[in-house]
Amino acid sequence: MCGIVGFLAPGRDPGAFPDTILRMLGAIAHRGPDGVGCLVDDGCAIGVARLSIIDIALGTQPMSDSTGRYWLCYNGEVYNYQELRAELELKGRTFRTRSDTEVVLQSWIEWGEACFGKFNGGFAFAIYDRETGTLVLARDQFGKRPLFYRQRDGEFLFASEMKAFLHYPGFAFEQDPQQLSAILAQWTPLPDQTGFTGIASLPMGEWLKVTADGLTRQRYASLTFEDGPSVGSEDEAIALIRERLRASVVLRLRSDVDVGVYLSGGLDSAIVARLTADMTRRPLSTFSITFEDPQFDESPEQLELAARLETRHTPLRITPADISRHFPEAIFHAEVPAFRSAFVPMFLLSKRTQEAGIKVVLSGEGADEAFLGYDLFKETLLRTNWRKLDDEERRCQLAKLYPHLDHYGPQNIAAITGLYQQFSEERMPGLFSHELRFQNGRFSARLIRSPGDPFGPIAQLVRQNPAFAGLTPVQKAQWLEYQTLLPGYLLSTQGDRMSMAHGVENRCPFLDKSVFELAAAVNLRFDDGFEEKRLLRRAFQDYLPTSIIEKRKFPYRAPDAAAFAASPSDYLELVLSDAELAKLPFLDRKFARALTAKVLSQNAAEVSTKENQSFIFLLSIALLRRSFVDRGGVCRVSAPRHVKCIDMRQRSDLAANYASQGNLSSVV
Amino acid sequence: MEEWFLIEYDESFPEDTDLFREGVMDSFGYVQLHRFLEREFNIRFSPEEMTGNLLVSLTRIRECVAQKLAAARAGGASSPP
Repeated sequence: MCGIVGFLAPGRDPGAFPDTILRMLGAIAHRGPDGVGCLVDDGCAIGVARLSIIDIALGTQPMSDSTGRYWLCYNGEVYNYQELRAELELKGRTFRTRSDTEVVLQSWIEWGEACFGKFNGGFAFAIYDRETGTLVLARDQFGKRPLFYRQRDGEFLFASEMKAFLHYPGFAFEQDPQQLSAILAQWTPLPDQTGFTGIASLPMGEWLKVTADGLTRQRYASLTFEDGPSVGSEDEAIALIRERLRASVVLRLRSDVDVGVYLSGGLDSAIVARLTADMTRRPLSTFSITFEDPQFDESPEQLELAARLETRHTPLRITPADISRHFPEAIFHAEVPAFRSAFVPMFLLSKRTQEAGIKVVLSGEGADEAFLGYDLFKETLLRTNWRKLDDEERRCQLAKLYPHLDHYGPQNIAAITGLYQQFSEERMPGLFSHELRFQNGRFSARLIRSPGDPFGPIAQLVRQNPAFAGLTPVQKAQWLEYQTLLPGYLLSTQGDRMSMAHGVENRCPFLDKSVFELAAAVNLRFDDGFEEKRLLRRAFQDYLPTSIIEKRKFPYRAPDAAAFAASPSDYLELVLSDAELAKLPFLDRKFARALTAKVLSQNAAEVSTKENQSFIFLLSIALLRRSFVDRGGVCRVSAPRHVKCIDMRQRSDLAANYASQGNLSSVV
Repeated sequence: MEEWFLIEYDESFPEDTDLFREGVMDSFGYVQLHRFLEREFNIRFSPEEMTGNLLVSLTRIRECVAQKLAAARAGGASSPP
C-alpha cells in the first residue's frame, strides 16, 4: 500500500519540481512510511510514498518499463497479479521483479485500457508516458483506494489524499457550499465530490487520461446484477458462498508480511477471521474496538470468537474522551465532512495495529451491501409492499426493522406506522429506498444558508445511469449504497483514510467481483429478505459460535455529540464562537448555534440521530476549514525518509543531463 | 415546536409547512411529538389517527388537538385510546 502524488505543469520552471513533489509526498508519508520515490521530468513530476508488502526489496517505485517510456506510481494491490503475470508471460513479456506493481505496468503496455477490467483488487495508480507526455489515472471498481485531482490553468494535479495539494505552490483550498449541501443531505460525498471547489475524486471504476488536448474520463466497470452464476437450490447457493469467499480470502492473503483481522463482533468479520485462521500457520492477530457503554460494545462476541480461533487478540477500549481528543486529527485524515464519530475509534485501532507490527488487515466491509445486511433493504421491501399489506402485517414487519432503536418499540408502533404511511410512495424519482434516510439529510442540509437543491447531484447521477431504471427497488437501494455510504464513508473515512493514517492496509474479501455477482444471483431467491444475510449465516453456521450466527445486525456506532459534551475540548470554540462561525460564510449561523447549544446541553437520549449527525457534520466542516483553508491545527508534513528521485529534466539549470533511462539519485 | 425542532416560523417558513418534506421531522421526532401532545393535553391518539397523516404541520397539529379537546369537552372524555 502506498500514497501517490504528481502534477503536469508544462508552464512552470522544473527547477523547483523535486522540492515540490517531495513536500507533497511528505504530506502523505503516513501512507508509505517505508520510503519515497519520485520522477521529475520537464513539465511533470510523480511520486510514491511506499508501504512495502509484496517484493519488499525490488518493488521500488516509480517503476518504469525496460525502455524507460512508461512510469508507474501505484497504490494498492491487484490480488490476481500472479494469474495476470502468467498470462503476460505467455505473450512473451518478461519481468524483473515479483511485484504486482510490475504486472500492472506490463498489463497497461500489453492491453491498454482493457487491462483495468482484468484487475481484481483495490488500487489507484498513475502512468506517465514520457514519449507523449500523457498521464493516465485509474481507480478500482469499488472505491477501495482514493485518488483526487484538480485541473486548472493548464496544470493537472493528483494525489491519494488532498492534503498533498497544501504543498503545491499557490494552491488554495476553498469549501464549496453546494457540494457541502449535497454531502450533508445524502450523508456522504458522491463518487466525484470532495467538498472543496475545483477538486474532484476520480469515481471508482473509472479512468482518465490527460493529454495536451485536455482531459477525458471514462468508466470501465459498472455494478451489474445479472452477471452471477445460475443457482438452482439453496444448498447450491450456500456451497458457492463458502467457495467464493474462501477463494477471495486466499487472494487477499497474498502478502510478504503478516496479515491480521479486524473483529467487530458481528457475522461478516467473523467469517473473514475464520477463513483466514484456517489458512494461516502462525496464530492470527485480531484487533477489536470495545466500549464501556453496552449500547455500543460487542466485546462478548469478539472474545468468544478470538478464543475459539485461538487468535492473538488485541482489544482497544475507547472512551468518549478518546473520541473528543482525537477527532481533529482523524477528520484531517478523512478530509471530507463526516456524519458520525465512529471513524475516530478506527483511527486509534489502526495505530494499535501498527504498533503490533501488522501492516495488513482483513475486514468484513462490503458484506451488508452484497448480502442485504442493512435494515434499509428490509425497509425498502416493506415500503414497496406497503399498500398490499394490512395493518397487522405492517406492524409486524415494522417491529422487526430496527430492534436496536427504542422509538421503534411496541409502545410507539402506531406512531411509526403513521410515519411510514408518509413514505409509502416515491416522492424523489429513483431515490425511493433512501427517502427516509434523506429526511435526516434534509435536516443537516439546513446548516447551509442557501443549500440549493441538495439532492440535485444524486438525482442526476441516477438519471445518467441507463440501467438504473430497470433495477428492482432493493437493487436500486444496493446500487445507491455502492455509490454513497460504502465508498463515501465506510471504505474511506472509516476505512482507508483511518488505517492508512498509520500505514495499515485494509483488505475486504466481500468486495470481490465474484462474491458480489454471486450475492446478486441468490439474494431474495430463497427467502423474503427479512432475516438479514440468511444465506451467509447458513453457509457458516457450522464454522462459527452460535452467538454470532444468531446475532442480529448490530450497527457499529460510537458516542456522537455526547462524547463532546462529556469531554469538551478547546477546539469546540470553532462551533461555539460567533467569530469562528463567521469564518464559514455559507453557514446558517443561527441554526448552527441552536443545534450546538441543544446537543451539548441535553441528555444524550434526548438528542435525535439527525441532530447528532448534523452536529458531527458541523464540527467536521469547521475543523476542515481550519486545517485546509486556513492551514491551521494539525496540518503538518513529515520529512520523507529513504528518498530516491529519478531526474529526467533537460530544461532546468538544476537538472543533470542524464541519459533517457534516467538515473537514481538522492535529492535531499 | 420551534425550540424542539430548531425552526422558526415566519413568512419563509409558514405554519402550514409540511415538516416531513422540509426535513424537520424524523421518526424519533414524530414519536416524541405524539407522546408530548398526549401528555400535555391529556389526549390519546388512536392507531387510525396516528396513521392518518394528521401531524404533518403546525396548522394540522393545532387543528387536530383543538378538535380532540372540543370532542373531549362535549363528550366528557377524550377519544378512545
